[in-house]
Amino acid sequence: MKQVLIYICSIIFLLFLWEVASIAINTINSSSVLPGPYEALSQVVKNGAELQRHFLASAWRLVMAMLIALVAAVPLGLVIGHERSVDTFVSPMIYITYPIPQVALILFLFLIFGTGSATKVAIVAIVLFFQILVSARGAAKNITEEYLVSVLSAGANRWQVYRHVIFPATLPSILTSVRVGIGVGIAFLYIAETNTAQGLGLGSFIKRYMLFGRDRAFAGIMAMAFLGLVLYVGIDILERILCRWKYVKR
Amino acid sequence: MIEADDLTIDYGSSKRKLRAVEGVSFRLGQSESLAFIGPSGCGKTTLLFALSGLITPSKGSVKIGKKKVAGPRRDVALILQNAGLLPWKTVWHNANLSLVLAGDYPARNAQDILEELGLGNVKSRFPAELSEGMKRRVGIARALSISPSVLLMDEPLASLDTLTREKIQDLFLTLWKDRGFTLVLVTHDIEEAAFLGQEIIVLTEKPARIKGRVSNREVGPLDYRQSEAFDRTVKALREELER
Ligand SMILES: Nc1ncnc2c1ncn2[C@@H]1O[C@H](COP(=O)(O)OP(=O)(O)OP(=O)(O)O)[C@@H](O)[C@H]1O
Ligand SMILES: [Mg+2]
Repeated sequence: MKQVLIYICSIIFLLFLWEVASIAINTINSSSVLPGPYEALSQVVKNGAELQRHFLASAWRLVMAMLIALVAAVPLGLVIGHERSVDTFVSPMIYITYPIPQVALILFLFLIFGTGSATKVAIVAIVLFFQILVSARGAAKNITEEYLVSVLSAGANRWQVYRHVIFPATLPSILTSVRVGIGVGIAFLYIAETNTAQGLGLGSFIKRYMLFGRDRAFAGIMAMAFLGLVLYVGIDILERILCRWKYVKR
Repeated sequence: MIEADDLTIDYGSSKRKLRAVEGVSFRLGQSESLAFIGPSGCGKTTLLFALSGLITPSKGSVKIGKKKVAGPRRDVALILQNAGLLPWKTVWHNANLSLVLAGDYPARNAQDILEELGLGNVKSRFPAELSEGMKRRVGIARALSISPSVLLMDEPLASLDTLTREKIQDLFLTLWKDRGFTLVLVTHDIEEAAFLGQEIIVLTEKPARIKGRVSNREVGPLDYRQSEAFDRTVKALREELER
């Protein structure tokens, strides 16, 4: 409950800063460059139905990309982190491909997947994949030896070691990497969506109105921020349920 | 029965070898108890890991019953230096872990042993919510849940306060007498060795070699600490260690 209150206060404070910035910038330029929160919010209300469609399209893409990235990166990351022989073979490939600027791939992906949702999901999934992979690998490498010995001495097979030790031990780090990934994921989703001005998605919506109808564009930006917040809180709640052991009173 | 013959264990590659245990031999009958005592870092944990099948010795062998040990066995339980509890599992799931791994859970479970060890009402707690003494007892519950024929313990009571330590030593003694498993423990605590080991082997500094043996056959009564035999063993151990 206290958490919710703190969130509300932060939001009010940020809106206040935005208002101040908007007044300052608009006074200096003596024209309306940066719409204030009031204008943007009233556009949110006015365009409710349209905004909702774009919001859901973006949200769906982001969540799909997250799930794809998780399903692909978690098993791979845990295996290369735990099995040294796999690591020596696979890690060089990761470290060579990791620094490739993934934005550069967007146009290429459009060629493969077309201009629909698939490309947008793919680019975000690729970005998140690397983030989660690197975190999962690192976390699996750093598991306390004692936990592994504890199950191995009781005769655990390989699958049981993953199931009872490696996966639960690394889950908090994996969720943290997803949380960090939300910000990057939204940025890439925006870039991908603005590459096609037509179609659904908050990126397209924002781009369409940025030059003429900036109040509406900012309504879209608010919706994007809200999307990030919802996912962020969602993962927090998920972590509290799945990693309850981390939150018990000492 | 557990038997070790010229047990030698090296760490590292063949080029840069680090010898941790050298030429350790002993023989222990069913339901007997043996304590190893040696200075910190001498190779006690390594020795115990080899007995449990977690490490393959570079030379020599271990036999339990009639079979040579080639890997962890379902009838041998190991209690680790820090109890080895998994922080993400509750007391209940930690205590049942060995049974789960063996595929015996839930047909068999640790309910009775948890009750016996006074942990009946903390089953849903996580390790972080337990005192050190309780954690050790959960470790004991896990080890005994599989009714092992051999129980191996690695300094099970290090870092406990004196009263808790003695209480849990009493508990070990009682469980050992009641259940008839073969007990091997390693420790750097003289009184612990003298209270629990019918036979005590004194180890050298690294690499661990056998320096001396002290027989301590009168182990058993809970008030053994007050007896003359106990004092004699403690004195003998001290002399061996200082020699
Ligand atoms: N996995 C390993 N690889 C290489 N060397 C190791 C490994 N484990 C232990 N050693 C070394 O072997 C020696 C014996 O270690 P061990 O843990 O068996 O001693 P210990 O008597 O149990 O020590 P303590 O009293 O601290 O518990 C130490 O010098 C240690 O550095
Ligand atoms: Mg040790």
